[in-house]
Amino acid sequence: MPEKINWEWEIKPQTSWFGTNFRELYAYKDLLFRLVRKEFLLRYQQTILGPLWVLIQPVLTVFVFVVVFNRVIKVPIPDIPPPLFYLSGITLWTLFSDLFSGTSSTFSANVEVFNKVYFPRLIAPLSVTFLHCFRFLIQLSLLMIVLLFYYFTGKIEVDFLRMFWMIPAVIICIGFGLGGGLIFSILTAKYRDLANVLGMIISMLMFICPIFYSMVTVTSSVHWLAYINPLTPLFELFRYAVFGIGKFTGMQILYSCLCMFLMLGYGILLFNKKGDQLIDVL
Amino acid sequence: MSEVIIKAENISKVFRLGTIGSGALRQDLRLWWDRYVLKKKNTFFQMYNEESITDTHLWALKNVSFEINEGEVYGFIGRNGAGKSTLLKILSRIIKPTKGTIHGRGKISSLLEVGTGFHLDLSGRENIYISGYMLGMKKQEINSKLDEIIEFSGIEKFIETPVKRYSSGMYVRLAFAVAAHLEPDILIVDEVLAVGDIEFQKKCLGKMKDVSREKGRTIIFVSHNMQAISSLCQKSIWLQKGSVIANGDTQTVVNSYLSAYQHKVLKQEWEIGNAPGNENIKVLSVKLIPEFEDASDVIDIRTPLTVSFRFQNSSDLKMVVSIQLFSVSEECIFDIATKPSSFETGIIEGELMIPGNFLNDGAYYLSIDFMNESYESLFYFSECLHFEVEDYRENTKYFGKWMGSVRPHFPLTLKQCGKEFLKV
Repeated sequence: MPEKINWEWEIKPQTSWFGTNFRELYAYKDLLFRLVRKEFLLRYQQTILGPLWVLIQPVLTVFVFVVVFNRVIKVPIPDIPPPLFYLSGITLWTLFSDLFSGTSSTFSANVEVFNKVYFPRLIAPLSVTFLHCFRFLIQLSLLMIVLLFYYFTGKIEVDFLRMFWMIPAVIICIGFGLGGGLIFSILTAKYRDLANVLGMIISMLMFICPIFYSMVTVTSSVHWLAYINPLTPLFELFRYAVFGIGKFTGMQILYSCLCMFLMLGYGILLFNKKGDQLIDVL
Repeated sequence: MSEVIIKAENISKVFRLGTIGSGALRQDLRLWWDRYVLKKKNTFFQMYNEESITDTHLWALKNVSFEINEGEVYGFIGRNGAGKSTLLKILSRIIKPTKGTIHGRGKISSLLEVGTGFHLDLSGRENIYISGYMLGMKKQEINSKLDEIIEFSGIEKFIETPVKRYSSGMYVRLAFAVAAHLEPDILIVDEVLAVGDIEFQKKCLGKMKDVSREKGRTIIFVSHNMQAISSLCQKSIWLQKGSVIANGDTQTVVNSYLSAYQHKVLKQEWEIGNAPGNENIKVLSVKLIPEFEDASDVIDIRTPLTVSFRFQNSSDLKMVVSIQLFSVSEECIFDIATKPSSFETGIIEGELMIPGNFLNDGAYYLSIDFMNESYESLFYFSECLHFEVEDYRENTKYFGKWMGSVRPHFPLTLKQCGKEFLKV
């Protein structure tokens, strides 16, 4: 008597490219936020300055940039107070690079847990994403304070409505960081050599992003390098939102957006498809 | 009649062995080259289909099928490497089967280790949440049970302390307290009870029993501890080398499992033509010779034993021979090795004396490892002898199972030091 039983789940050899569905991810949202909290606690609970480190990092970097790029090698920048100019670039760059390197170590950082318990694997990189978004918000408030300082001392004009342009720049940037990180998390887990390459890629990327220079003032013969970099218009858009100076076209933003969707889409699919198989090997 | 809650059909799992990782990139590049440039067929998957798995691949599971009904407590037994853990991992969705499907209903939680997701730097409370969420608990569930969990663990005072400062016992208590309060439809437990002190083990076993009896929960339990399996599980599956040997009523399965490993092999001899071994070593005989005091023919704990073996040595390397004695529950009792020494090729005889009054009662098996000077195995002769040691007691009124793997007669004495009572 072949009675029909309503199975609720099925385990089979193949993984679909789409892997986890959104409903399952949502069911684990509590875990997601606990993991964000965990990372935050782990980073700062036993340090003396605690969460202040989130702010000290960009401040020190700005200091170095002012000395090196402004005073020593004199890279031309638009007519903006240098600390504000550098801070705006660094804030967005930190978001991208932390996200990229943070999510790319998903497998090496979670092997033990992945080997012992099931939850949608995407939760791990997502928790890293949320952590860095949170850190970004703190750093953004620092940027706002610096901006207001220059505004009240009369060094700069501020258009508060224009600020909303920041949102697409930040969102696309997050998409790039997460997408790239997901792809690299698979690659580095599979081929350990690539973990060493990752740091190099990130530091080289930094030079073709307008962080310590601006597309407005750049005069190099190789500035096409910065143009083919889909991250470039995001920095320009972000700066435009903060203090109204930036060089980008609608097409560039669209190009950037398209690249982001391709990378993020491919990243998620690859992560779902290959992630399961990787556990055998790790 | 309760309904089927898990149905596994023809589950197989193949692992790639060897230098995974270091060679992976090269291997993949070659595969890609073969496939797209030379237009060859994918050799890797071809091998799967022909089922001609070579040295580089291992079938951890082969066509395993079973059904588990709602509310049953199912035990998985088998030796190390029989595929139990692989099967559990597949059931808990950690790894994918190579072939076959599993259908099921309801929520699964799996306890494959103590303290899943625990982080040493975080407080007990923080870890309860993380571990709970990872094991599939909901927010309200943890919030409402938090006090209960803390009470069960018995570490109220230290709940805000980072778990790295806990003793190992406290750590296990907290971890199990979280696990014990899970309420899945199907609970998968792997040997978690092997840790922790006896009191706590009893508490956990009790908790598991309650859970299955009162709440009708399905439990899948893996253990080497036949005692625990027998008392907890109604049904069991015996796995060996990836295949199901027996499936059914626990007592029947456990008995056939135990008797399979308790058959006595005290003596084995071979002609050179069919001697086990390889080009280096050919084993000609292995014997266990008990030294009986009287005519009785039972090995008991007092009997001195001699292991004697002969083999033909075809290499003139320096060699080391080690004898490993295991209890039937696969604990290694001892591993005794010779000093590295060189021999001419030819027949070599070895002998090991196990004194009387050393082993506890129980079933044992013995393996011999022939190694070269750098302790690489030339030939591992696994489980070449099986024997049982019977109990013998005098001057005691205790008749329970005597604990321990060994029962040596080390002098333990008491003496009277004075006759006065100390004043309080």
